[in-house]
Amino acid sequence: MNKSLFLALFLSMTMQVFASIDTIAVDVGISVFKTMPIGVVPFSEPSGTTLDWPDEKPHEVAERDLNLSGRFDVISVPKFDLVKLSRARAKFYVTGKIEKALNNKIKIDFYLYATQSKDLVLGESYTVSLIDSRKAVHDFIDKVIYNLWGVHGIASTKLAWVSKIDGVKQIMVADYDGFHRRQLTFDSTISMMPAWSPDNERIIFVSFRNNKPQLYIKDVATGTQKRLFKKFEQTFSPAVNPKTGEILFSAIIDGKTDLYVGDPETQKTRRISFLKSSQTSPSWSPNLSEIIFTSDRGGSPQIYVMNSDGSDMRRMTFMGRYNERASWAPTGDRIVYTSMDDGKMNIYTCAIDGSDIIQLTSNSGNNERPSWSPDGSLIAFSSDRTGSHQIYIMRRDGSNVTRITKGGENTAPTWSWYPIEKQVKHNKEGKQ
Amino acid sequence: MKSFYGLLIAGCVVIGLTACANKQEPVVDPVVQETPAEATAPEQSQVNEDSLAALERERLEAERLEAARKKLQEMMDRVMSEDIYFDFDRSELTEDAKQLLTQVGEILNQEPRFTITVEGHTDARGTEDYNMTLGSARSTKVKEFLSAYGIASERMETISYGEEKPKQDGESEDAYAKNRRANFRVNVK
Repeated sequence: MNKSLFLALFLSMTMQVFASIDTIAVDVGISVFKTMPIGVVPFSEPSGTTLDWPDEKPHEVAERDLNLSGRFDVISVPKFDLVKLSRARAKFYVTGKIEKALNNKIKIDFYLYATQSKDLVLGESYTVSLIDSRKAVHDFIDKVIYNLWGVHGIASTKLAWVSKIDGVKQIMVADYDGFHRRQLTFDSTISMMPAWSPDNERIIFVSFRNNKPQLYIKDVATGTQKRLFKKFEQTFSPAVNPKTGEILFSAIIDGKTDLYVGDPETQKTRRISFLKSSQTSPSWSPNLSEIIFTSDRGGSPQIYVMNSDGSDMRRMTFMGRYNERASWAPTGDRIVYTSMDDGKMNIYTCAIDGSDIIQLTSNSGNNERPSWSPDGSLIAFSSDRTGSHQIYIMRRDGSNVTRITKGGENTAPTWSWYPIEKQVKHNKEGKQ
Repeated sequence: MKSFYGLLIAGCVVIGLTACANKQEPVVDPVVQETPAEATAPEQSQVNEDSLAALERERLEAERLEAARKKLQEMMDRVMSEDIYFDFDRSELTEDAKQLLTQVGEILNQEPRFTITVEGHTDARGTEDYNMTLGSARSTKVKEFLSAYGIASERMETISYGEEKPKQDGESEDAYAKNRRANFRVNVK
């Protein structure tokens, strides 16, 4: 019985791996796989003056956002070109108008037009400083995505990751596209494993400043920080509950690693794993009723699921000897995790019962630490495919891989939550 | 052959040092025995005798302390240089590891003032998270062995560094093997 079950499982897995090579229509979650062609026309700028853009012009930022979203194929045209846009089946195009405003600011008018009729589908106006122009573009592109796809885009979200600076791992925060990068920690000791608080205003991370791995929480704006869960000597692997702010984490006690939930405000903790083996890398299900984690109870790290009180544990991964660091898609339908094969790390997804395994990365160095975008359509990860570790973003099916950092060593990307105002909207919509 | 030259060189150094000791007051190097200085002390004039004797006692005491400190330091260095190596993704102690740990246990038995921190490490392969648990398992296995050897567990602390503190950078099997280790930090009570 067991054998035949295993064989069937194995066959279905192998088939899926093959399927993933030539098809992107396997997943029926959200249809990010069929991209929508969209035109982008450079914005008109005030005549007589040249604006000193910090890095990219607004239409370039828009193109990057639209491409990174995984939902569009950008058709770049130097000016409105009905023939070219129609031929590329771009039913809509984005453009804008830039004017000088008071106090060294600029006014950017953004337009989303229907290509054939030139009807204005969406128009927004922002008066910002040059340095904040990217933010305005991100906001507008998220509105475009909401208009055309009915879901919130992720252009206004952020990433935290770990950079080696002068040989020491430090926490960085940046826009999701890698711009507006800022160093959050400045210790002479290692900082790592960043996670975002639900309001995106604080980062929970592991610091070795006391020569032991210990969790800290640090305010991104003010730099105020404190140590978390002081009754434990060694804590790591933080995962935040986006509704309550509670933190799942691993703690080592008497040489054994177990899972705990703690409240960063009251510092109260409770243990949720009670096995003889070691448990680590916990993560919440999107409805927060279940926890996915890694256990080595079978002699090698494998992924398990249990209820959030620790009951009803079941094993999820059976293929391969090393499956770790699983994380549940915000859409609820897939799990992403890292698997080691021949000493190389690669990223896989599977259905929530462990079936339907799809390999997302292959033959390109080590690929690890996948992190979902808040809309569940994209995955950030780190890869050493170019010889150094850098941060990449890909679609949930492994396509459209885009590098967003270069130089140095950058690892452990962690996607922020939606901006708080969109979280509220999201919840309301969810209830309707 | 090699060791013969080694001996020869060591011998030369000792001779050199002794020669040097005979020429000057050898306060610079407390390791060298200073019998000549001691022998000449009673021949000093009466006026200086008491203070000289006091100085001499002080100097000898300082020397004795220094020698004790050196011996302690040597023992600490020995403990700290004994890295315990592990197989890939394993935390079981190898036969080599057990032999080394027996020596470490012996030193800890001889020197009850020592308390140790056992640091567990992994190679760069695998996830940071799982490697934290693996590093912890390795340091714990070391502690358990020493505990069975008779070292009180209050004298031992374990810390996992996961893959964060490689001894050797790089992605070679050689580097991986050197990084899959537990090492010791020694504190003196």
